[in-house]
Amino acid sequence: MTRSSLALKLLWREGRSGELTILLVALIIAISSSTAVNLFTDRLQQTFTYQAAEFLAGDLAISSSESLPTVWASKAKKHHLKQAETVEFSTMLVENEQLLLVGIKAVSPLYPLRGQLKNTQTNYTDEKISKTPPQRGNVWVDARILSALKLSIGDSITIGIKKLTITSIITYEPDKRGDMFSLSPRVLMSTLDLAATRVIQAGSYVHYFTQFIGDESDLTAFKSWGKKQLSPSQRIMDIYQDRPELSSALKNTQYFLNLSSIIVILISGIAIAMATHRYTERHFNTSAILRCLGYTQSQILSLYGYQFLYLGLLASVIGCGLGWLGQQQLFHLLRSLFPAKVASPHLFAMMSGFLIGFVILATFALPPLLRLKKVSALRVLRRELEPMPTSAWLIYGAAFFLMSFFLWHYTQNYLTALLLLSGATVVILLLGTTLYLAMLKIKARLGKLPLSLRFGANALLRNPKTTVVQILAFSLTLVSILLSMTLSQDLIKDWQEQLPEKNPNHFALNLFPDQLKKFNQTLATEKISPQPLFPIVRGRLIKVNGDNVHQQVTKDTQGQRAVQRDLSLTYALTLPDNNSISAGDWWQNSTPEKGQVSIEQKLAKSLKINLSDELTFSIGSQEFKATVSSIRKVKWETMKPNFYMIFSPATLEDYPKTYLTSFYLPKENQTSLQTLIKQYPAMMVFKVDTILAQFKTLLLQVTKAINALFYFALLAGFCVLFAAISSTLDQRFYEGVLMRTLGAKRSLLRYSYLLEFSLLGFVSGLLAIIIAESLIFGLYYFILQLDYHFHWQLWLISPTVGMFTVMMAGCLGVRKVIKAPPIKLLQLTENR
Amino acid sequence: MNPVENLIIEAKELSKSVFNAHTKLHILSGINLKIQSGESLAIIGESGSGKSTLLGLLAGLDTPTTGHIDIKGQNITLLNEDKRSVIRNELIGFVFQSFQLLPNLTALENVMLPLELRGDDDAEAIATSFLERVGLQDRLKHTPQKLSGGEQQRVALARAFVTRPAILFADEPTGNLDSRTGKQIIDLLFTLNQEQHTTLILVTHDKALATRCQRTIILREGQLV
Repeated sequence: MTRSSLALKLLWREGRSGELTILLVALIIAISSSTAVNLFTDRLQQTFTYQAAEFLAGDLAISSSESLPTVWASKAKKHHLKQAETVEFSTMLVENEQLLLVGIKAVSPLYPLRGQLKNTQTNYTDEKISKTPPQRGNVWVDARILSALKLSIGDSITIGIKKLTITSIITYEPDKRGDMFSLSPRVLMSTLDLAATRVIQAGSYVHYFTQFIGDESDLTAFKSWGKKQLSPSQRIMDIYQDRPELSSALKNTQYFLNLSSIIVILISGIAIAMATHRYTERHFNTSAILRCLGYTQSQILSLYGYQFLYLGLLASVIGCGLGWLGQQQLFHLLRSLFPAKVASPHLFAMMSGFLIGFVILATFALPPLLRLKKVSALRVLRRELEPMPTSAWLIYGAAFFLMSFFLWHYTQNYLTALLLLSGATVVILLLGTTLYLAMLKIKARLGKLPLSLRFGANALLRNPKTTVVQILAFSLTLVSILLSMTLSQDLIKDWQEQLPEKNPNHFALNLFPDQLKKFNQTLATEKISPQPLFPIVRGRLIKVNGDNVHQQVTKDTQGQRAVQRDLSLTYALTLPDNNSISAGDWWQNSTPEKGQVSIEQKLAKSLKINLSDELTFSIGSQEFKATVSSIRKVKWETMKPNFYMIFSPATLEDYPKTYLTSFYLPKENQTSLQTLIKQYPAMMVFKVDTILAQFKTLLLQVTKAINALFYFALLAGFCVLFAAISSTLDQRFYEGVLMRTLGAKRSLLRYSYLLEFSLLGFVSGLLAIIIAESLIFGLYYFILQLDYHFHWQLWLISPTVGMFTVMMAGCLGVRKVIKAPPIKLLQLTENR
Repeated sequence: MNPVENLIIEAKELSKSVFNAHTKLHILSGINLKIQSGESLAIIGESGSGKSTLLGLLAGLDTPTTGHIDIKGQNITLLNEDKRSVIRNELIGFVFQSFQLLPNLTALENVMLPLELRGDDDAEAIATSFLERVGLQDRLKHTPQKLSGGEQQRVALARAFVTRPAILFADEPTGNLDSRTGKQIIDLLFTLNQEQHTTLILVTHDKALATRCQRTIILREGQLV
């Protein structure tokens, strides 16, 4: 019989006896979770890379606040590029006495150059792909528009002064973004009808997008020429910048998923190492007999190596299959973030599960397994002869190396990987040492406890190192779950607290000073609560301390975008709600000095602006200076009017201004909106509650996706417990039957196990909440800028849940010991 | 004295069978045995003759397939496992071939264990005096792995006698010891036995050792001969 077939036979028999179950399950958990994350990440990246063009509806797109000059078109022609144009703006539709704010998108006949449009005549199940956009005189509309305005296909709508016929319901447009224009219900029309609507006037708030396609070399040449032509209001679009809500949500999800996957690998790795340790010890005798029969050390190693190879293959096949299902579930949870079609994974990503499986086995199982080759043949005569344990450096070094690799691979950042790893190592070492020392102290004081308590505690203290590893592994699992649970709940709660039920859900722009008094009266008549009015002066930041601001900005930053366009500048005497001063002072007296400005913190950081810096602004042809007197932290997510720059009133009072305000209007009260729009035709109204609802959905979905991965972590945690119990099962069995022989009742054993496992779970739960609460404090205080509050419920829940789950799982693991008849002792005697 | 009144163990028509794969294996059959209080009895037989199985049944560690066992007039085969454990704790002491000490407990803690199981308040003092009696006063805090084989068996003897049991079961008590140490242990066993007037049931395959008992029974293929 060859060694490989002998190995297969032995593996089959041991598998049937349940000897390898924990090892196999732990390996499957590690492989399936990392495969799920790898496949998810790979498909995500492919979707982004290959379908970026579809997101932009072209290979290259330029956004601008006005139509691109003709020189672009002639240059594009020279490079044999095809060109399409879209024009986006918001407008209010009034049909059948119903009002609706819609996002108009006028598209040129060649649109979309990449991707496709989809529409239907009836419902979403009957969706059709369309290669051409609406013809002149026609529009496609969002289904919401039909129901809201009581319209049907074939009816007409009036945009500006032009009547257009509804011919289809639009179901998909490739370049739909998450901004205000796109979140409002869509009307897709032809650019050929645009002039006839007379909606767009000089100064209207409109976005122009021009898309190009062509050969790569032509595009590259065109892009480099175009970069030099860009005016401040023009920008070459990039998928990561132009879908910021998407890219940051997905990047964060990817990041957390990867970190969670590392935690799962680590916890499963501990279970694998423990299970292999037991496997190795139980095979000392077999190895000694084989050595006696003439097997060399390397033949012994290859015999067991083959078994682990087969085991790895089996676990990889199952793990990859489960991983595939897992990533499908992740995509399902996050479906609203993706285009209808998501790229298929690379074959390599699919195969990576196999690779990871063997790497995990080699890292966590090989070091303990190496002991088998060191078994002395003399052990057949002297059973007490045990091989030297594998060097701790090799065991921990291999695990450390693997974790470093994964961290680097997933974060793609040496510094982050190093910081995370060294931070985690220090914390684990500190906690581990503290627990270890505490256990040694307690061990010395157990003498006076009742017998069952002493036995339970003794079982934990018998091997403090294993107990420490178990507690840390469990705590880590619980910490992950606690963090995910708390963060999602707190973020949503924080959001809801900031957005009380009647939070303003409409923004009104473009109110003129002479209309304010009347506007407030109208609000009162319509029973709408008034909100603060903010004066708006459109101006641009041009210099910082006398230097041109364009020289100071870093490319593609918030700073660069802010200095390339007009900002809404405002002035106020009191600090608005949701703003807090992080440096300097807000003006104290009622007539603050002219020439002071308060700047928003993130923008100040991006533009490297500090307190007392002198900023120069331009308003039209006029320039003026202001000194930075304070830096503000702003809660942007409150969806209330917020500003980058707030000036002391005297600075801006004399410039021409309009006003901005917000108000709450219940969904059913659309007549009030009609009244307002009729009375103030120049006023622009934006609905913000749809945007809020979308953000909330996004957050919930991301949290769900991350939570899904923690189920793997929880399973891995149980594997550690079962592996630990299993590694002490022989010892427990022996002690159990001996105690029973000496007259101990079953209840004594049961109580001592209950105590042992409850104590293990309780301490793990307690440690978990200590770690989680500290991390939450750090995260809230330093990163998320949320108000920290003590989670007292979790201090009760975590130890209790830890105690009960570990107790139940533990007692399940040792039930055979309790049931074993004492006669087994005599049989053990004969076998020992 | 009426011999019936002095009877401590009585086994009637004992048999023990186990199922192995699809076959029924008879380990013991038709065993009838009476043991008087204070008697020393050796059970001898070849390996596989059923000695240890008989010891396990007589000590209440296992239940017979048929027949019954009375200890001090009480039919222990009718008792459940927990009730039998109470009988073991109150009436029985054990000495095993492999010593069977708990490896994580010290010599003193091992000897205290049966006393603690019966809730004895003076467990430590009594255990200490017994360890002194077997000559291990300097080894109280040593764990089994720090003791020689002979010392471990002394601890086992102290643990067996510490509850002053009515019956002592010894299963090949010298099997893991060299002949000199084995002799010392046996001497100590018989001395303690005489001091406490314990009924001794000794399982051995050593005929010379068996002669030190008052009576010897021989088991062959599961039956008394």
